[in-house]
Amino acid sequence: MQKLITQVSTQLACCCYIRTEAESRSASFKYLRCESGTCIILGHWLLSSQQEQSHQDSAVTRKKDTMLSVLVAKRLVSGVCPKSLRPAVAELVTTRGYKGEAPDDSRGDIIEIPLPPWTEKDGETMDIKRRRLLFQSRKRGMLENCILLSLFAKQYLNTMNEPQLRQYDRLINEPSNDWDIYYWATEAQPVPDVYAGEIMDLLKEFTKNKDQEQRLDAPNLEYLDKGSQ
Amino acid sequence: MAAVCTASRVLAKKVLSAKAIPAVSQSSRKLHFSVYGKNNSKVSDGMSTQYPVVDHEFDAVVVGAGGAGLRAAFGLSEAGFNTACVTKLFPTRSHTVAAQGGINAALGNMEGDDWRWHFYDTVKGSDWLGDQDAIHYMTEQAPHAVVELENFGMPFSRTEDGKIYQRAFGGQSLKFGKGGQAHRCCCVADRTGHSLLHTLYGRSLRYDTSYFVEYFALDLLMEDGECKGVIALCMEDGSIHRFRSKNTVIATGGYGRTYFSCTSAHTSTGDGNAMVTRAGLPCQDLEFVQFHPTGIYGAGCLITEGCRGEGGILINSEGERFMERYAPNAKDLASRDVVSRSITIEIREGRGCGPEKDHAYLQLHHLPPQQLATRLPGISETAMIFAGVDVTKEPIPVLPTVHYNMGGIPTNYRGQVITHTTEEGDKVVPGLFACGEAACASVHGANRLGANSLLDLVVFGRACAHTIADICTPGEKLSPLKPNAGEESVANLDKLRFADGNMRTSEIRVNMQKTMQNHAAVFRTGKVLKEGCDKMDAVYQTLDDIKTFDRGIVWNTDLVETLELQNLMLNAVQTINSAEQRQESRGAHSREDFKDRMDELDYAKPLAGQVRKPIEEHWRKHTLSTVDPKTGKVTLKYRPVIDNSLDAEDCAAIPPAIRSY
Repeated sequence: MQKLITQVSTQLACCCYIRTEAESRSASFKYLRCESGTCIILGHWLLSSQQEQSHQDSAVTRKKDTMLSVLVAKRLVSGVCPKSLRPAVAELVTTRGYKGEAPDDSRGDIIEIPLPPWTEKDGETMDIKRRRLLFQSRKRGMLENCILLSLFAKQYLNTMNEPQLRQYDRLINEPSNDWDIYYWATEAQPVPDVYAGEIMDLLKEFTKNKDQEQRLDAPNLEYLDKGSQ
Repeated sequence: MAAVCTASRVLAKKVLSAKAIPAVSQSSRKLHFSVYGKNNSKVSDGMSTQYPVVDHEFDAVVVGAGGAGLRAAFGLSEAGFNTACVTKLFPTRSHTVAAQGGINAALGNMEGDDWRWHFYDTVKGSDWLGDQDAIHYMTEQAPHAVVELENFGMPFSRTEDGKIYQRAFGGQSLKFGKGGQAHRCCCVADRTGHSLLHTLYGRSLRYDTSYFVEYFALDLLMEDGECKGVIALCMEDGSIHRFRSKNTVIATGGYGRTYFSCTSAHTSTGDGNAMVTRAGLPCQDLEFVQFHPTGIYGAGCLITEGCRGEGGILINSEGERFMERYAPNAKDLASRDVVSRSITIEIREGRGCGPEKDHAYLQLHHLPPQQLATRLPGISETAMIFAGVDVTKEPIPVLPTVHYNMGGIPTNYRGQVITHTTEEGDKVVPGLFACGEAACASVHGANRLGANSLLDLVVFGRACAHTIADICTPGEKLSPLKPNAGEESVANLDKLRFADGNMRTSEIRVNMQKTMQNHAAVFRTGKVLKEGCDKMDAVYQTLDDIKTFDRGIVWNTDLVETLELQNLMLNAVQTINSAEQRQESRGAHSREDFKDRMDELDYAKPLAGQVRKPIEEHWRKHTLSTVDPKTGKVTLKYRPVIDNSLDAEDCAAIPPAIRSY
């Protein structure tokens, strides 16, 4: 596997290093992160482990198959990144399935159907930015994120300065799959470099719930009533 | 005035009328309702009472960009229609993204399969309240729909042979229930919902669909019983937009948020159902609300059935594994409604846990920590974050939680919204369509089977697109619309924005949620429901006394949440009133005082010699509810279930029988 990746890297003229996972999990997907911010999936490797062998059930068969071919990878990279950019690859990251064992995910839709890239909004005052981020924190794709981000916004949004607001904006608006934000916040998956930073650290700390308070619901808006108008 | 006229004439094509509309005096504030052309859309944020309106014309408008909305928008754009998609959320952030299960389809990749068996399972699962023509359509189209999605680029998980991998799911059987468990659920790893949204959104952009993201749809524009478009608020700049179109598709999702504890995101507020109610049209079967047995107490986050599959057990305040009493064989893995009812009975009999004795415990700490970490990684995190519980030491507090709404906007199997009269039967509302959780086709009847929901989205989103393509052509001229259409919606918006009563939005919302949770939850009794109806009526009246605090117009979250509260209220009153009237137990609606199903014949006994009851005397019928928005009074009517399939030779309809698993 190492050989294959070095082969790929020479072909792509990218520099990359592989971070090996200490523990092996069932399905894992590796993707290279370009500095242009685009996510490229090179394929998937299945790390098999003795643990896994004993957990296999008949309905799901594991393929020790690498879908990666150097040509495919090259095509993908040149297809996604503009030719002028020499992608300097940051790191190789693994993700894993959520609720127990899940069948393979080739992420073909994300590769073949790129969505228009997220762009920062210009000409927004800090006040309007805060109001927008409040709405976007409270209205998410699933309940876990609704509760987590609205509580986080209640605690931190009004005291963030401009670079922090921009970091937060990117964190909650650029990722396409809301579950990813949840996995990063709960440290179930490592955070891609482009989102790592002060705000992500704050969110991770907040999520840990060190005071073990009960987080039953998103807060009401009344905390905004006095003053921020 | 003259400047407006000139501007309008100059901008020519899309302008409705050159005259300004006289001020609407619905409140003491004066509203100036002006009409501008399409290119003139900026408005300043201030305390202006002026609401400039931007008009758009499209061949089709879709409200909602979840699985169903995107599939409809994509289908319409592909067919050449100039389509707009109006959504309050970015498409990949719709609640569909939470779906991690899969899509049922009788592809037959794991074992021999037939869509007629899937048809049987769905009809039985719906407790014979589902319309069999719609179910026939859905299950027959399922394989085509899945293959189509695959061709669009959705990367379904594969078997070794390269065929689509299918897993088992509750309620799916082979050979009409006699052949054992069926494996029909196709998935994309554990992100089927996200993949569906990503694929459809990406593809629809190539066909030039216009997306209006973070626009909150206020109301339908109805004229002479025909739907002519939608009026919406742009959150980014506070302008009002009217989307005129010959075809409007509603795909706004469910209304879980009427309850205190639900697994849905805070965006599930029944906006489409409320828009239809305010237009004077009925909603169907709203009393059928599905409860998932294990949602975290309070927060409502879903704890997957997989926990119990891995060995987790439910215990009461005495530490007893009570499921052994209710389902001696299946124990904790009995069907969802059985487990929900068992937990509720334990609580009602005083064996609930916690200081208020109002929930049960899901115990996982007897399982080896290594197994918890590998098999159920997400659960430990969710329990810590939302319940403050360490699953290796303490049990998780759980409660049956609202999960899905089987009811919604009544449609036929082609996705067209219908009304019903006893003389004329079902009648189509021209120009209006609905699909997804917002609609009630009705494929789920009284109870939904797992993994049928994503299928419902895709098949009926597609059906709406096909029906519109059949009856219209792109570029058709639009019928004229009154120049001041939609002014009541704007007046309501203005009223809420400056509301200064005594009760805050959050207070009224919590009152509604607690009333629904206490009076219309898993187990329902006549007395408790009647009390609930009266309490809900009182809460509805407090809407007149509402107080908001944010007077701005740009990104006003308080205003949007208040509009959503209005929508939720309309759904809540219909749900509780329909539940109170329905005196039987069927599927997800179970009543302690009427424990049996009441059909036209008693199917528990031999049918020979029985007299068929007339429709007024039995309950195998759909409820159609309407509300007078000013008073909150609910009126109920009934509509017969469609018992014939689309083609009796191809697929025989299933006559009702006793539902046992």
